[in-house]
Formats: sequence, C-alpha cells, structure tokens
Amino acid sequence: MAPQLIIEYIYFSIIAIVIGFIIAFYILTQRGGDRREDPTEKQEEKKGMEKGEKRWLIFLLTILVIGNILMLSPILPSAKYALWLEDEPRLTITIEVKNYEFILPEKPIRVPAGVPVEFIVVSADLLYGFGVFRKDGLIVFQMQVVPQPYTNRIIWIFEEPGYYDIRSTEYSGPKHPYMYVPDAIYVVGG
Amino acid sequence: MKKMNEEERKILSIRFVVVSLIFLALAGLEGLLMRFRILNILTEFFDEKHFYSMMTAHPFVGVYGWAYMAVMGAFYFLVPYILKKDIYSKKAAYASFWLMLIGTLTVWTTTFITHYAPLYTLYWPIPTAYEIIGWDIHSILFFGLGVTLILGGVLVFFANMFATIFLPLRHTDGASPSPWYVIRELLTTAFNLDKIKAKIKKTPEYSAKAFNYPVFVVAVFRGCVDTTLNAFVIGGVGLLLTIFAVSHMIPGAAIPITAVDPLIYKNVFWWGLDLIADGNVLIFTAGTWYLIVPLILNRKLYGESVVRTVILADLVVSLFVWNHHMLADTPQPILLQVQGQLFTWGELITMGLTMFAVLATMWFARPVKYTAPLKFVLASIVGYAVGGLAGIIQANYASNRFFHNTQWVIGIHGHIQLLVGLSLTLFAAIYALFPLLTGKALDEKLASLHLILWTVGGLVMGLSMGLAGTLGMLRRTLYPMGLGPYEPYMFYATVGALMLGVGFIVFLVNILKTVKISDLLKIVFSSKY
Repeated sequence: MAPQLIIEYIYFSIIAIVIGFIIAFYILTQRGGDRREDPTEKQEEKKGMEKGEKRWLIFLLTILVIGNILMLSPILPSAKYALWLEDEPRLTITIEVKNYEFILPEKPIRVPAGVPVEFIVVSADLLYGFGVFRKDGLIVFQMQVVPQPYTNRIIWIFEEPGYYDIRSTEYSGPKHPYMYVPDAIYVVGG
Repeated sequence: MKKMNEEERKILSIRFVVVSLIFLALAGLEGLLMRFRILNILTEFFDEKHFYSMMTAHPFVGVYGWAYMAVMGAFYFLVPYILKKDIYSKKAAYASFWLMLIGTLTVWTTTFITHYAPLYTLYWPIPTAYEIIGWDIHSILFFGLGVTLILGGVLVFFANMFATIFLPLRHTDGASPSPWYVIRELLTTAFNLDKIKAKIKKTPEYSAKAFNYPVFVVAVFRGCVDTTLNAFVIGGVGLLLTIFAVSHMIPGAAIPITAVDPLIYKNVFWWGLDLIADGNVLIFTAGTWYLIVPLILNRKLYGESVVRTVILADLVVSLFVWNHHMLADTPQPILLQVQGQLFTWGELITMGLTMFAVLATMWFARPVKYTAPLKFVLASIVGYAVGGLAGIIQANYASNRFFHNTQWVIGIHGHIQLLVGLSLTLFAAIYALFPLLTGKALDEKLASLHLILWTVGGLVMGLSMGLAGTLGMLRRTLYPMGLGPYEPYMFYATVGALMLGVGFIVFLVNILKTVKISDLLKIVFSSKY
C-alpha cells in the first residue's frame, strides 16, 4: 500500500478519537459536577504549574520526542525517500522546463526499476513543479522547480514497473494545468 | 485630541464586523463558484483565467477582509474595554478601517477586471512575468497598490494597539512619548526581557511586566508582533510589485526580473506569511478563548501563569517554522528543512497546552450551561485539532514528497483550520460581543443550527479535499481533461461548501431577526462619527 494511504488511515483513526472525545466532553461537562474550588486561586499563591498541567505537558513533550524520532528515522515507510538522496545515482536524467513545457531527453524516458535514478530539472523562466504520478493519479514524488540559477535535483528508486505521467505540481499561471505529459516515464521491470 | 467615547468605539467595531461579514460572504461565494468550476461545471460562465484570478482574490478577501477586519473590530472594542482606557489614536483607528476596505476592494476589483492571477503565494517571478504570462502591466501596479494599502492598514492598526496598551493617553496628559518608548515596552513585555534581566541580576521575587496585563491583552500584543512582521514582509512585496510596474512604464527604467533571487525571495515571503498563521490564527484565537471562556463561566483561566509563558513560547516558535512550506524545494539547505520540521512540532506543545487550559477551565466549571459562544469555542478546538494534526503530518521532509501542494494541504490543514478553527472562534466572539454592542442577544436555537451546519460543512469539505489529496489531486489547479478518480471527493467537498453557505445564511437571518436592517445600516453609515 502507498505510504500516503497508510498515513491517511492513521490520521483518520486519531481524529475520530479527537471528535469522539470532544462530544463526550460536551455531554459530561453539562452533567453533574460539583463546581469544584477554582484551582487557579491556589495557583496564584504558589505561581507554579498545576499537577494536571504538568502531566499534560509531559504527555505533549513525550509525543514531540517520539514523533520527531519517528519522523526522522527510517521506521516510517516514507522516510526511505529522504535516505535515497544519499545514494549514488545509476542514471541521471536532465529535464528542461521553458514556456510551460517539459523538454524531455526522450519520450518515454526509460528507467530501470530498483536502482537510484537522479532527476535534474531546470527552469529557464518561471517557477514550476515537477511531479511523477502513477496511472491511477497517485503521486509518486514531486519537487518544486525553482528557476535558474538554481538546479533542482531528486533521487528516486522506482519500485513498480510500468508507465508514469509527469505533471507540474506548482501553479505558474493559467496555462499551468496543461503541463501534463502522459506516459512520460517507462520503468522497465528489474 | 478628541476623545473616542465608548459609543463611538462600539460603532467602529460594528462597522468593522459588518464589512468583515460582507467580505466573508464574498469569499464564500467565490469559494462556492470555484468548487463548481473544479467539477467542470459553469465552464461557460467563467473561463480558466477568471478562475485563477478568483483564486488569487479569494484568500486576500477571506483572510484580510474577513479574519483581520473581524479581529480588528473585536479588539478595537475589547482592548480599551478590558484595560479601561481609550484607543490611543482615533484618526489611526479610522485610517486602518479605510485602508483595509479600500485595499481589499482594490485587490478584488483588479483581479476581477484584469484577470491578473499570481495567486496569494506570489512566487517570484510569476507576479512580474507579464511578458511570458500575458498580464497587463497596469494590473501589477493596481494589485501591488492594493496589497500595500491592506498591509498599511494592518500596520496602522497594530501601531494603534501597541500604543493603546503601552502608552498613557495623549489627550489626558498632553505628552507624546517617543515611539521608541512603545517599541521598548513592547519588546520587553512580549519577550519577557525584564524577567530575564531580573534572573541574571538575581533580583528576588521579580514578577514579569507581562503579568501586569490581563492574559487576553498579552495574547493581543504578542500576536501583534507576529502579524506586524508579516505586514512588513507582505506589504513589502506589494510595494516591490508597485515599484516594478512603475519602472516598466518608464522607458529605460525597467527593473529586470532577475534582479530578485527566487529562492531567497521565497524564504523571506514564507517567513513573513507563516507569521499570519501563528499571530492571527493561533495566538489571537488563544487570546479570544482566554477571554470568552472564563468570562462566561465566571472563573479564572486554568493555569493562567503557564498560559502566558506558552504565548511567549509560541512567538519564538513562529519565527522559525517557515521552512515547512519549503520542504519540496531541493536547492534549500537540508539543515533548514530539518529546522522547519522540528519547530512545527513546537506548535503541538503550545496549541496543546492552550487547548488544555481552555478544556480544564470548562471541566472545573461543571455543570456547564453551554451558550452559543461556548459551543463555538468547543467546536473550534475540534477544527484546530483536526487541521493541526494534518499540518504536522505534511510538515515532514519525506511525506512532503506526496503531500506538498495537494488538496490535503489546503483542505484538511488550511480550510479546516481557517473555517472550523479560526472562523468559529470569530463567530464565538461575535455571539459574545453582540449583546455588548447592540444591547440584544442573538437567538440560541438559530445559533446552534448555524454551528452544526458550519462545523459539519467545514469538516465534510476539508476532509473530502484531503482524501482527494492523498490520491494525488493537486491544489491551485483545474483539471480540464477531467477529474478522474478525484471527482467523487470534489462532489462531497461541494456539498460541504453548500452546507457552509446555508449555515452562514442562518447566521444572517439570526442577526436580521434580532436587529432591524435599517438600524444596522444607520450605524454603519452613521455620519455622526
């Protein structure tokens, strides 16, 4: 399964819990309760954190640390994409973008599956985007194309053979939606 | 200087709120039309150029016309009310109103008439590449002027707020302290510099200056720091576009497009633009919650001293998060990318503690009788939780490869934060302020209907867009060759948008049922002030 779909399931599970919690909170806070003594009055005297606040802060800090470790480590399925940047490319493909057109070295660009491929994209005029899409519309990867003097570079390993489309992923004027090249890349099975 | 009495402040606030609601209606109508156009409906009604110009105007009208003007209206009334002081400058208060109104209308009419469409991102050199894209040079001039006027209005408002909070009144003592006094007081208080100094000097039992102000006012001036910096950057871009256009109208004076480095520009732009998210969307919201919830429940805010520190921490975090917008820019140094990712998690702490303080205040006030403002605050917490979590997910160097610039970013993160998070907070403020400003309360049943339609509509729209985003649907673009697998999601997003529209109409009916439209118009167009 594509990593974005895994992330989507995890995300929706968490927000279902959040929404459920707020609904329960709304119901519970209307019922009963003893209108307890205002804890902030005591706090004024000691100028410190309440016990509940401390616990909550520790919980948030724990999430922060775990979250960052997860996000920066190779455990997360998508993290491998960042690590691929360190790989030595077996093939380099240079694409120029000019006047709303992708100028490809060949069509389709033939690349082998399972090996690091470097894409270098340069723009002669505007800021564009460079995205590679599966035939069912799912994004495989993308990057911004900052115009010259900058060179935009990404290394990718295609895992599945087949045809892929190229589309500009950044708005660059009303002609932008036509920057679409179907079957621009053909990944040869490894 | 002539004093601005409470009645005049009320009228000024009502004017701001009425205009902001008109802009919300306009932004909403644009949003709805764009939703239909994305579905490739109404293609004869407006062409692609019109669509992108609408997409350019939409965030300016929605953010500056609605959110900023509503905030200004509320703060022009609330800050003097809480501090029991007058607004520092009456002239500046009116100037900010007119600058915002004229500036927003200039941006809107320019894009509408000329179809100038650089989008709110204004990525260099797109706004100035008129020879390649085919825009009229005059449209760059008027758009640049409009943006400059809006941000000029924002700066005048914040200068007036800072002076109102930190300065003694000019008309009471006749003195006019130097602006440096205000800046020094602001920086000292906003960053707790006096407390740091006291710690270094080992002064015992020193209480920071920020503790002299109610927590709502602390949130106001700290949020104003972010939004002032934002105004300098975005206003600066407006000025840059104006100068560029003028230079191209004078023979031999044309500034070349290459005079600006596109990557450095993008960094500065996002540094400034993201400060809106923190200043206006998060800190002002936190301030409004801190005011409304304890006031209605008649209790102190839970953990008030910690909350002040949290607001300061968020100010620091907000200065270093802009890089999460540039994770797909591969020429950007990797260290900056990691910094953007790490600081974004900082917002989990600040917003998490803010929500906790509000919820704990409610919890200890059980049994709570939920009036409209409290219900809106509770629902806005849902908006921030749902939108904030999506933000943390996309602000990751690896996952940004497939989330960047998709409908996920603008749907689940952007629109849910703005519509369910920020807008519900602003509505909460309007429901709470309405009796104070008009002497009449709005109908609770209609308010509940407004809340349900708006919240469910906002969530349906945002989540549907997000689901299309994970499947690869991009933002900021039409699909003239067909939507393919994204079509059902865009249909549900349109249903959500329609629910938002009906919710807004219910809100208007509630207002017009409570206050006669003729009375409202009399206030807005009153020649008395």
